[in-house]
Amino acid sequence: MIDNEEIRLAKLCVEFAKEQGAQDCRLNLFKSESNLINTLNGAVDNVSHSLDRSMSLQLFVDGRFASFSTNRLEEQDLKDFIVKAISLTRVMEPDSARQLPEPERCCKCATNGREMGLYDDTFPLMDMDRRLEIALKNCLKAENTKDYSIVSEEAQYSDSEFDNISLDSRGLWCRHLETSFEYASNVTVQGPEGQKTSNYEWIARPMLKDLHTEDIAGKALEKAVAQLGAKAASSGRYNMVVHRDVASKLLTPLLNALGGYALQQNNSFLTDSLGKQLFSPALSVYEVCHRKGESGSRLFDSEGVATKEGPIIENGVIKQYFINTYIANKTGLEPSVEDAVRPLLKAWPEEGLDCRAIIGRCGSGILVTGFNGGNCNSATGDFSYGVEGFLFENGEIKAPVSEMLITGNMKELFCKLLYAGSDTRSDQSKLVPSLAFEGVDFSGL
Amino acid sequence: MRKGGNYCDLFFENSSIWTISLKDSKVSSGGFHRDYGCGIRVLCGERTGYAYSESTDYESLCKAADAAGAIALCSSLKDKPIQIEADCPRNKGFYPMQQDLRLAQSSRFVELLQKLDSSLRRRESRIVKLMATASYSLSEIYMYNSLGQSAEDLRPLCSLNLSAIIEQNGQRQVRTASKSLRQGLEFFDDALILELSDTICRNIDRGFEAGRPAGGQMNVVMAAGASGILLHEAMGHAFEADFNRKGQSIFCDKMGQQICRKGINIVDDATIPFLRGSCNWDDELTPGQKTYMVQDGVLTSYLHDRISASCYGLASTGNGRRECFRNFPIPRMRTTYMESAEKGSLEDLIHLAGNGIYVDEFSNGEVQIETGDFTFYVRGGYLIENGRLTRPIKDLNIIGNGPKALAGIEAVASDLVIDTGRWTCGKGQSVPVSCGTPSLLINNLTVGGQ
Repeated sequence: MIDNEEIRLAKLCVEFAKEQGAQDCRLNLFKSESNLINTLNGAVDNVSHSLDRSMSLQLFVDGRFASFSTNRLEEQDLKDFIVKAISLTRVMEPDSARQLPEPERCCKCATNGREMGLYDDTFPLMDMDRRLEIALKNCLKAENTKDYSIVSEEAQYSDSEFDNISLDSRGLWCRHLETSFEYASNVTVQGPEGQKTSNYEWIARPMLKDLHTEDIAGKALEKAVAQLGAKAASSGRYNMVVHRDVASKLLTPLLNALGGYALQQNNSFLTDSLGKQLFSPALSVYEVCHRKGESGSRLFDSEGVATKEGPIIENGVIKQYFINTYIANKTGLEPSVEDAVRPLLKAWPEEGLDCRAIIGRCGSGILVTGFNGGNCNSATGDFSYGVEGFLFENGEIKAPVSEMLITGNMKELFCKLLYAGSDTRSDQSKLVPSLAFEGVDFSGL
Repeated sequence: MRKGGNYCDLFFENSSIWTISLKDSKVSSGGFHRDYGCGIRVLCGERTGYAYSESTDYESLCKAADAAGAIALCSSLKDKPIQIEADCPRNKGFYPMQQDLRLAQSSRFVELLQKLDSSLRRRESRIVKLMATASYSLSEIYMYNSLGQSAEDLRPLCSLNLSAIIEQNGQRQVRTASKSLRQGLEFFDDALILELSDTICRNIDRGFEAGRPAGGQMNVVMAAGASGILLHEAMGHAFEADFNRKGQSIFCDKMGQQICRKGINIVDDATIPFLRGSCNWDDELTPGQKTYMVQDGVLTSYLHDRISASCYGLASTGNGRRECFRNFPIPRMRTTYMESAEKGSLEDLIHLAGNGIYVDEFSNGEVQIETGDFTFYVRGGYLIENGRLTRPIKDLNIIGNGPKALAGIEAVASDLVIDTGRWTCGKGQSVPVSCGTPSLLINNLTVGGQ
């Protein structure tokens, strides 16, 4: 964790920047430790240990702005660095929109970093033996069958401790401290005709006691085997169910389009959409970033502005843009936070549906369990993604499919949202459940 | 190595990255970023222990060495020491700077971006927003290993990225352009401004007229240059030896086999001067070199780092690369391309295709190593109908399978172009790469459409 000497240096840097001519200064101090063990077929393949610390600095000098970072945190090095940084900042053109956020918008309740309950005090007690034990004890224990042979299992155990302090020349002091423990398994299998497939399963938790790794490798194997024999289905328009493991891929372009930089640069397909009903009433996305003990929760953004819970999209109506101080000053829009922190796509039309139940309600279509590349045009919302998954009929899985593409427009897609489940994973940064859409264009054979 | 490791290497890095950006016709943001440290790797057979330190004093390095050396505690009697070539000839240097980046004046970049903004806006009145970022980095590298080998490398990398929003009659399109080379300050000249301005302005009208074709399997003609993303995704990754060593790659049992038409040569090359993929040394002290992966249609080599090379009983091909001192090296591509055919033109391929699509603007791609399924995203092109280019198309993904796509290469033209865009490969770690192809005709790729 960040120690008192590093805090002293951080405060000294803010003061020194002002002495050297900066009117304002924001500083972020980061320190982290991470450990990683990769196994291959039940034996250790590689181990790595990382200790990082760095400082980033945003300087506001004579109406000009620039940002800097360094991982050399010795006092004289830092002073030389700041002198050079101020000199570069003075080369920039003036931009009156570049300012620190008003102090009343800033977070005042993240003082020791533990407020969100995301730090596991057992982290400093972990040693190599304990880590090896976790990494090795639940590696895949399965035999080949007549239907498949196991080519390889790669598993990974990792843990990390992350500490961040934000301070500025107007008195900001925010700290966020968290730990993370993760385990993942990736299994490759080969079918009787030589075809290979691979799939993965994972778990990530802020507390070690909640890291249950028993069935991870088995689930990865099950998913890989299910995909054997996949081939493209006929091109056409299908109902599409997207599994919770990958559904956040579809929410990301929407959230990006609500971002201030995209809006200000006319590079958003959601320009002038605030307060408008653009999507199906089935779509509601809420910010839920103040949940103690739940990973991803956070009290402040990168400017130190206090985050808030509330609607982003409610019953298809856009309720919030993500506007930082700079964009607010440029556009006159009301400032909020830089970005969505922990967005939750809410269940529709009722709580309690999971992927299987949604497939049952849709009857027939394609279940998407994986995306393979693709993109979304940020200005128009037009998208095209590679997908794999399963064809289903009468609510039952029929056959695996691969080498297919979905193509459409994001605004139109979310007008066709039929169902949203209640099966979000707590270890994803965006809490998106299984989703169903009506009439999506699939390209295949 | 006291704990039992049988090979060790150290990778010292001192990097500085500078960026200066223009937005709304103002050069009003920029900065620099310093990164300094040393990575220590200990091998025990094929197993890797890795740690790094951001301080290079003796005590800190010993702590990192101790952490990396712990891999020996995980070893078994079955581990055989990897066999490493001791020969370490020196390269002549593939990226000498004419004007040293350490002498750069920031005001030069402000002037360059202002000039770019005014000339582009004069030239194309439909531009409503323009963002441009000039950046350069310089990495001082020193490597040393337990065989007593050592080398220094000075790695410059300069880039200019443009993104323009263009509006016409309520329609909007994004145009992007980038160029990136391992050069000194001479990279940032008037010719660069002209070249990227041309890229932004080219095909604007086509972008407003373009639609999406009906989806499905069809013949695809890929223009020379950035089409190299196909080779990178569909073949290059599957030829990286770590995936083959573990039996995961779709190509792991195809060494020595005919995998595409005779006459086709696919290369991964570190020796073409100034490219993003150029390497005097890889990141584990193997000299940069040119590697034929496919010769005359036959799979002849994977891309090896020292671990995989030892596993196969071969010399490393110099593909052991890493993002920075925080990462250990793994097999990575450099500049991946297909050599030109002796004759044939783009027009010949379009005629030969009959019906299908022609594509010449790309962005991202991805591959699934085990199945060989790859995709890449097409920003622009044309329909081909009866052997002629007809309606413009945009924003579609193409998906295929590596071995099938290789076997489906119907024809190759004689117009190889290596693209100089800002290509970055992500395989857990980001490394700069380059790619290129001559024009290609490939049968039966699946094209996204409505």
